[in-house]
Amino acid sequence: MTKRQAAAFFFGGTGIFVVVFAGMTIHSHTRFPELTNAQDLTPLVLEGKDVWHRGSCVNCHTLMGEGAYYAPDLTRITALRGEAYLAQFLTEPTRFYSEEEHGRIMTNPNLTPHEIEAVIAFLDWIDGIDNFQWPPRPILVSGMSYGPGGGTASGSPASDDPVAMGEFLFRSSPPACFSCHSTSPGVDLVGPSVANTATRARDVLEDPAYGGSATSPEEWVRESILEPSTYLHPGSPTYSAMGQSVMPGNYGETLSPEEVEYLVAYLMTLR
Amino acid sequence: MRYRSQGVAYWYFAVALLLFALQLAFGFLSAVKYLGPDPLKDILPFHVTKTIHTNLLVVWILMGFLGSAFYVVPEESETELHSPRLAYATLGLLTVLGVVAVVGYMFGWTAGNKLLEQPLPIKIGIVVVMLLFAYNIVRTMAKGARVTATSGVLVAGLFGAALLYLPSLLEFTNYTVATFYRWWTIHLWVEGVFELVQAGLLAFLLVRLTGVDRALMEKWVYIVAGLTFITGLIGTAHHYFWIGVPEYWLPLGGFFSALEPLPFLAMAVMAYVAFRTMERAPENRVALHWALGSALVSLIGAGVLGLAHTWPAVNKWTHGTLVTPMHGHMAFFGAYGMIILAMVSFTMPYVTGNPDAVRKARGIGIWAFWIMVGGMAGMTMAFAAGGVAQVYMERILGIGYLDAQLKIQVHFQMLLAAAALFSLGVLLFLWDYFVKHPKRGLHTPHGGAQGA
Repeated sequence: MTKRQAAAFFFGGTGIFVVVFAGMTIHSHTRFPELTNAQDLTPLVLEGKDVWHRGSCVNCHTLMGEGAYYAPDLTRITALRGEAYLAQFLTEPTRFYSEEEHGRIMTNPNLTPHEIEAVIAFLDWIDGIDNFQWPPRPILVSGMSYGPGGGTASGSPASDDPVAMGEFLFRSSPPACFSCHSTSPGVDLVGPSVANTATRARDVLEDPAYGGSATSPEEWVRESILEPSTYLHPGSPTYSAMGQSVMPGNYGETLSPEEVEYLVAYLMTLR
Repeated sequence: MRYRSQGVAYWYFAVALLLFALQLAFGFLSAVKYLGPDPLKDILPFHVTKTIHTNLLVVWILMGFLGSAFYVVPEESETELHSPRLAYATLGLLTVLGVVAVVGYMFGWTAGNKLLEQPLPIKIGIVVVMLLFAYNIVRTMAKGARVTATSGVLVAGLFGAALLYLPSLLEFTNYTVATFYRWWTIHLWVEGVFELVQAGLLAFLLVRLTGVDRALMEKWVYIVAGLTFITGLIGTAHHYFWIGVPEYWLPLGGFFSALEPLPFLAMAVMAYVAFRTMERAPENRVALHWALGSALVSLIGAGVLGLAHTWPAVNKWTHGTLVTPMHGHMAFFGAYGMIILAMVSFTMPYVTGNPDAVRKARGIGIWAFWIMVGGMAGMTMAFAAGGVAQVYMERILGIGYLDAQLKIQVHFQMLLAAAALFSLGVLLFLWDYFVKHPKRGLHTPHGGAQGA
């Protein structure tokens, strides 16, 4: 190859690929509105985007895997944790994690309740983007189950027995129950331990202060999954605030009725 | 060195080297925070130190490139620089912008966009810097006797960088679209126009150092430049896979970004050709080390380690983990850090007025080279081991992010140890440059263009 030919290779090759790249860009613009649900870009979402930028959030966290690697990815965080929890968390993050335990902690971003609502709306919009279901499985913030029987599920359930199916589901992600609830007695994480669930169900039902509609332990467990704010477990301020449980309230939509029954069957075995 | 005005490069290099040292300090601060607990979290949190670490990188690389261009273009065009005074003013403005941006980050003045955190006034200032530079260079080339392929490609690369910075001035309401265009600046800089700068500087250095035929080198510069854009334009897609783009970006982007090592391979071949045809070793062995080193380390860091996680089926798992800085650190250092250190080493005898420097005490320079390369290799391995472990625990086993991080602490200790070694090399380099060979004036041997 002579120098002239090499120059022609450079100019020709670059020219062709500039045109191809420009064409792909223009076509992508015709698809962006549908891929990103652009109709859902409400003023609140855009306000949330400004909060996200002002706080320099992307220089610790990643969003769709983009950002810094000092804090967890937040692409699916609203689906994983729910609005109530995130609102509590952003009000005072240090209540939910211990710097001694994990070596790092998010400092309080000093957001107003409105800013918190906005940034959660923004993150919820991000969750809806069609990005080929990345991440391939949800990335949890924290949470391995502690103690015996800990760890997360992989493969498939041991059998099609409802209890086995329920335990598998409990340790799967989603719904990632185990990331907030330990099955070991006395190990209270963000949520209370679910050890002794069956015993606790009877105690709650006998308590005159209980205001729910459950009449049997199974019904109470089901109610606690589907409507977590009906019965608020006393104890740590991370469980609930202002009469609202921090547990996501949408399991009625994200889990099938059979899956809820599997979880009830499994949890009722914890006595 | 033939022209006195080439001496402006000294001040560009001097400031760039100081910012390089400052970049390391903020890198250390950021890495230590991974080990935690962090006593500085309320006054200098991670997001600030990380922003400053990456912004200083961009500023000192840019400064090194501009300084290199002010050295190379007069010599290639066979004329004095149009206006050395304007060149100093440009440097002054860029330095002020850099300092204001860094101090601003400490007080929360940020656009909060990864790598493009500069608030709008700073961004406009950077555009002005690039325009002043372009004006000075164009006037110089216009009055000069010739425009060589070496200086042409070098300057085209820098003009391209200025042009590609412009999308970052725009505000997009859609985060996906904003991310799409953010990579036009960042990706098309580092895997596009910056490669032209690297190839141009490499050709300049190899011709001066080894006496290899200029036409042969310039042919390779065109090949590198062509391969850069043929692979790198659509290769931008490896930043697009998971942000909400049409499906064809995955197979097409995967294919072309897997070819992105080719321009780096061509640069390594170019360096090998020059090395093989060299009749005797140049006096400035330090500069030769850095030039050949840049060609090889960029092939490994940018080419091979980029290829390692660029295929969509792999990237799906590694995206957004420490696997990315594994590639990023060695790529930036090998391709752009090392080529600038090559230019700094090559020009040092002339711009500091120490003509004997290359004969005496070159041992320190060689030590600095090997210690830095060794330290960076160690840092790369630490990121690689930590990153692969992170992927396995967090994304295969489903262990929570924070708990997985606790299990890779040892890799951050390795990172710090390797970074300490790297910093020792940098300190040796700085000591050699500023203390051992303080600026005494200029050395412009008669017909000095060949006098390497």
